[in-house]
Amino acid sequence: MEAVCESRVPGEEEMKCTICRREAVADLCAYHTEAREKVKGAYPAWVKAYGRIEWEDYLDKVKRNVQTGQWAKEIAELLKG
Amino acid sequence: MSRGYTLVICEKPDAARRVSDALSGGSSRNEQLDGTTVFRFSRKGEEYVVCSAQGHVYGVSDPTDERSVYPVFDVEWYSSDLLDEDSANAARRISAIKKLSSEASKFVNACDFDVEGETIGFNLLRYACGGKEKDALRARFSTLTEEDLVKAFDELRPLQGQGFARAGRARHAIDFVWGVNLTRALSQSALGSGHRYQTVSVGRVQGPTLGFLVQRERESREFVPVPHWKVSGVFERDGKKFTAAYVDDRVETKAVADAIRTECVGREAVADAVRKSSVQVGSPVPFNIGDLQKEAYRQFGYTPSRTLQIAERLYLSALISYPRTGSQRLPPSIGYSKILQNLGGIPEYSALVPELLRGQPKPVQGPKEDAAHPAIHPTGERPKRALDASEASVFDLVARRFLAAFGPSARRELAEVSLSVGGRGFRLSGGRTVFPGWMKFYGKYAGYRDVELLPIARGDRFRVVDVPVEERFEQRPPKYNQSSLLEKMEKEGIGTKATRAEIISTLVGRGYVAGESMEVTDLGLSVVETMGKYAPSIISTGLTKNIEEKLEAVEGGAEGEAALLRETVRSIADQVGELSANEEAVGKEIDSALMSTAARSFVLGRCPVCKTGELRIIRSKTTKKRFVGCSNYPTGCRASAPLPQKGTVKPTNRACEHCSWPVVYVVGGRRPWKLCVNPECPGKKK
Repeated sequence: MEAVCESRVPGEEEMKCTICRREAVADLCAYHTEAREKVKGAYPAWVKAYGRIEWEDYLDKVKRNVQTGQWAKEIAELLKG
Repeated sequence: MSRGYTLVICEKPDAARRVSDALSGGSSRNEQLDGTTVFRFSRKGEEYVVCSAQGHVYGVSDPTDERSVYPVFDVEWYSSDLLDEDSANAARRISAIKKLSSEASKFVNACDFDVEGETIGFNLLRYACGGKEKDALRARFSTLTEEDLVKAFDELRPLQGQGFARAGRARHAIDFVWGVNLTRALSQSALGSGHRYQTVSVGRVQGPTLGFLVQRERESREFVPVPHWKVSGVFERDGKKFTAAYVDDRVETKAVADAIRTECVGREAVADAVRKSSVQVGSPVPFNIGDLQKEAYRQFGYTPSRTLQIAERLYLSALISYPRTGSQRLPPSIGYSKILQNLGGIPEYSALVPELLRGQPKPVQGPKEDAAHPAIHPTGERPKRALDASEASVFDLVARRFLAAFGPSARRELAEVSLSVGGRGFRLSGGRTVFPGWMKFYGKYAGYRDVELLPIARGDRFRVVDVPVEERFEQRPPKYNQSSLLEKMEKEGIGTKATRAEIISTLVGRGYVAGESMEVTDLGLSVVETMGKYAPSIISTGLTKNIEEKLEAVEGGAEGEAALLRETVRSIADQVGELSANEEAVGKEIDSALMSTAARSFVLGRCPVCKTGELRIIRSKTTKKRFVGCSNYPTGCRASAPLPQKGTVKPTNRACEHCSWPVVYVVGGRRPWKLCVNPECPGKKK
């Protein structure tokens, strides 16, 4: 069997987003870069809310939360490693 | 001058039949001419012939008609059949009207009285009738009832200024020049990048509208919720329990939430304040088209374009007034009492009407006006044919909204009790309708719920049985739905009441948004991103809003259209120049988005069998049939399912509630339908 349509493999010389393969400035595209800022930026508010929460635990909760946006989830997954 | 007949031009065949029936008292003869129906009759000693267009039968295009050529700024009007294969009917209608015009001595434009209707009539009078647009008379009406039509033809008036037609023709020219240049620039850029030709369009209103969707989509996809806590108290006295909310809707830290719980459980609460108030709730204002579209979406889930189509059918059946109106006002000239009396003859409303006819009926009026037509209202005529379910729903909504506009204000009694537990406060709220007023007439659409409170007096004491603490998260910004997007367009002043619904449908049709959730596709994101980089005015509201305001000035006769056309051409030339200078970069971005969007349109969702793969639409090399298969097939997942072989299958991005397999849309045949792809789905066995 064959897929009806497949993504084209990009040229190797181009910088592509690690997550979505859109054009990237460094490792991420503009959308995921913005989402990374949001994920990092929300951590202090979570620490304040819970009193204490480890970075890894935070990323795990963000990733699994139904309200988290798709790009933020992908970033949480990436940062978790 | 030889004595000929009066040629009446209507916008649609149904309207022509109604005009003929009304003016002839039902004695008109119909005949076929070039495959179209025309009606002949005598009235007050004059011969009449009534014919009709079928919406627009002329459209603008550029003389080159070469999709690779841009920029183009010369546009001409052509018969629609030359522009669109699906408009073959236009040639027959134009031919019939040409023949009829040669023997006519008087011409009447009886198309809908608004910008589009006036443009349709103007073009037929100019091009098919040999330049009669300045001599023709105008029939103005807002309903297709016999009474209104007879009155309109008794009061025929010359066309003055023709602001509607001039604005309409300018709008068509501007939108064409805008759309054709930007669409060709984008499509040719993508073609230059190696992608097969695909139309990538950016219309004048489409661009900023897509911009709204993308902005919200980005906010939604980047969203990180922050936790907070909802605290409530369960109180008890004499075996009766009730729940009251903590005074702060959200408690920001877990430590504080836990402290409230610890401090309050088992203690005594005192009702330290009981406040009662009474509020008047005014009647809802009469519907304009935007309000009707939003309310039909809220009540029935109908998309704005569907509601408009239904409303037009009801108008052509003479059941409601002209729907493409911006007015929220009902002038006395529509005859309040007569409409109410006639509605009273319809069983569903017979019990409601007598109360409104006591005294002098006077409706509440909204702030928005429209010089051409009143707010949407029932004509009072009974349906002469069986209405389908959607027509019946919209008719009932319009009729009840009209009745409600005459109803008195409702009164609701609100109560709030403050409970104190040590230093902590809780709040209990309730409300009930004590005088229904207009709500009685609006019925199930009114949507107010009664929440009765226990009889509590100041100083009453209760035991705090429990203090539940619930962890909550901020809600992700909601994506636009078709109704909220329409509202946003109205608020930003882009598009017209007649075109907004169609523009939203175009965004779906072009593949910029997908599914009912209006999720922006990669292509939609990329078009806005690319435009933002190289032609930012195209997706900003400023330019299109400015044009909209100037078109309104042309409508009102305050401004000429020539200066506006020149100004628009200059703006577009600048933007297209930027795109053209960056053709390679633009092409690469659009091409990549086209590929990604196409790829995603075959992905149906997570595989419920192996839990890690994606179910995709696959076409078999041997049988050429399509089916659903898992991307983990090479590593052993055998999840698969058959698919209908006819029609288009589109992902809905939703999982079946019974079995978690993806649900798809099958488009083709009579109407689109949803299907869980799992042949063994328990939901299908019910």
